[in-house]
Amino acid sequence: MNFNDVKNKDIKTACEESLSLAKASQAKLNAVVSFVEVEQQVKELSNKNANSPLFGVPIVLKDNVSTKGILTSASSRILSNYIPIYDATITKKLKEAGAIVIAKSSMDELGMGGTNLNAYTGKVNNPYDVNRISGGSSGGSAALVAQGVVPFAIGTDTGDSVRKPASYCGIVGVKPTYGRISRYGIIPYASSLDHVGYFTTNVSDASSALEVLAGRDDLDMTSSNQEVQAYSKLLDSNVAGKKIAILVNVQEAIEDTTITNSFNHIMNTLKEKGAIVEEVRMNDDYMKALLPTYYVLSNAEATANHSNLDGVRFGVREEGADLVEIMINSRTKGFSSDVRKRFVIGSYSLHVDNQEKLYKKAQKVRRVIVDELKTIMNKYDVIVASSSGTIAPLPNQKCGEDLSVSHLVAENHMLLGNFSGFPSMSLPQVMVNKMPVGISVMAKAFDEVNMFNIAKAIEEITGLENIVVGGDE
Amino acid sequence: MEKFSKEYFRYLANQIMFDLSDQEIEELQEDFKTLTKQMELLDKIDTSNVDEMIYPFEEDTVYLREDVVNHEITQEEALQNAPLVKNKMIVVPKVVK
Repeated sequence: MNFNDVKNKDIKTACEESLSLAKASQAKLNAVVSFVEVEQQVKELSNKNANSPLFGVPIVLKDNVSTKGILTSASSRILSNYIPIYDATITKKLKEAGAIVIAKSSMDELGMGGTNLNAYTGKVNNPYDVNRISGGSSGGSAALVAQGVVPFAIGTDTGDSVRKPASYCGIVGVKPTYGRISRYGIIPYASSLDHVGYFTTNVSDASSALEVLAGRDDLDMTSSNQEVQAYSKLLDSNVAGKKIAILVNVQEAIEDTTITNSFNHIMNTLKEKGAIVEEVRMNDDYMKALLPTYYVLSNAEATANHSNLDGVRFGVREEGADLVEIMINSRTKGFSSDVRKRFVIGSYSLHVDNQEKLYKKAQKVRRVIVDELKTIMNKYDVIVASSSGTIAPLPNQKCGEDLSVSHLVAENHMLLGNFSGFPSMSLPQVMVNKMPVGISVMAKAFDEVNMFNIAKAIEEITGLENIVVGGDE
Repeated sequence: MEKFSKEYFRYLANQIMFDLSDQEIEELQEDFKTLTKQMELLDKIDTSNVDEMIYPFEEDTVYLREDVVNHEITQEEALQNAPLVKNKMIVVPKVVK
């Protein structure tokens, strides 16, 4: 489903159909935390912007996006009764643009995961093979777009949490520049890495959606003052003279030749169309350090961000003889085992004995990595690589050994976009045994125009546009 | 306290106000075997004379706004999600006994 499909229908009918599809797909996907009724929202459309690309479009919000009066659990037990008293800035923007929210989607608890296995409502299933994972942490949103329930869904991306599920589910996933979209009202994970992102089924919809979402918000002091560009008007797949860098560290770490061959075919075709395509290599040690650096920084930041979840002022409270016991019991029962274990990694990194040699070291390594990335990026319009080295795995199936390049590099290179804040997106690259794998495109900070344009050229080569699974089995 | 002992992990957890089961600690002990190897990869990178990177961009997006009241919520809204409320206050067990 895409934005035009909806425009050709009566809005109320389209949104009701979408909600019905979401409900019908729940047994298959388990992607929804809360369904949202559409009738009142459709009635309120009369005073909304009818020219917006999202006017009357049914959409899904990840369950860490605050929605006034609607459960916002971040797929965590401790927030399983939390009803926000305000809308996130993006909720407001989407409403003003006439989008109709039909559901809040499942995610890895508090965004902390890449599988969507760790949600309070259970595993989200991949629409192409329900035994496989959707990817995470924005798995519910990705699955619903890939199934054809909605043409647009919001996700968040701290360490590829939009782009990896997009790759596994065969859709477009965009993580714009850090600060491009306001994070006010988003339940955070790691503030120096968190981005709002989103899913669509084609690059054109992705480019117009950013026009709705982007812009400075004084309620989010990290949001940028940079001008929002007319991404959809500027969309142009002519790559003549465009400079494209292939990140060879990634391609070399991928063992599946169907993925590498199709990637090479795309690159050769871009060359034929006039693009200047060259291989670039990041320092191998830097690439291998991406994941451990991420573990240290993200878990440390998460530990601090979630210190307010204690069952005292909001959230699920457990009994205790005193205030400390209430907090400890609420947090012990409120967070899953996986999240508490991640918090322990954060606590370890922040411990006074480790602060210098681990936490500050990771912050310095981040700068070293980003400096090298910037040096490369300055010479090119975009850097490309396959988004993942495999199709969506089965639960608990490992993608390479813990210290192998197939795991550290092929599966985690999109962290570069979070470390640097550079815009990065994934779009479908190839089908492998009827399962999708994506290709990632990263551009300079605030150069989403080039990112979308080159992604559009790739989409024309692959032909993998508007592909959804469909059906309501 | 021995590093990576049961007591050590329980201490790290209690520092941030939660507890762990014995099984969770055993899983963490296993996880940390890999994690410490992965974290050692950071030591291969020379960071002498490098400043910590805190946020992606260092240009200012933060300023002091005028000191005027805005963006208010009501008391009812503030207490709406509180688990236990009495006389418009959040109730917890007695702190001073």
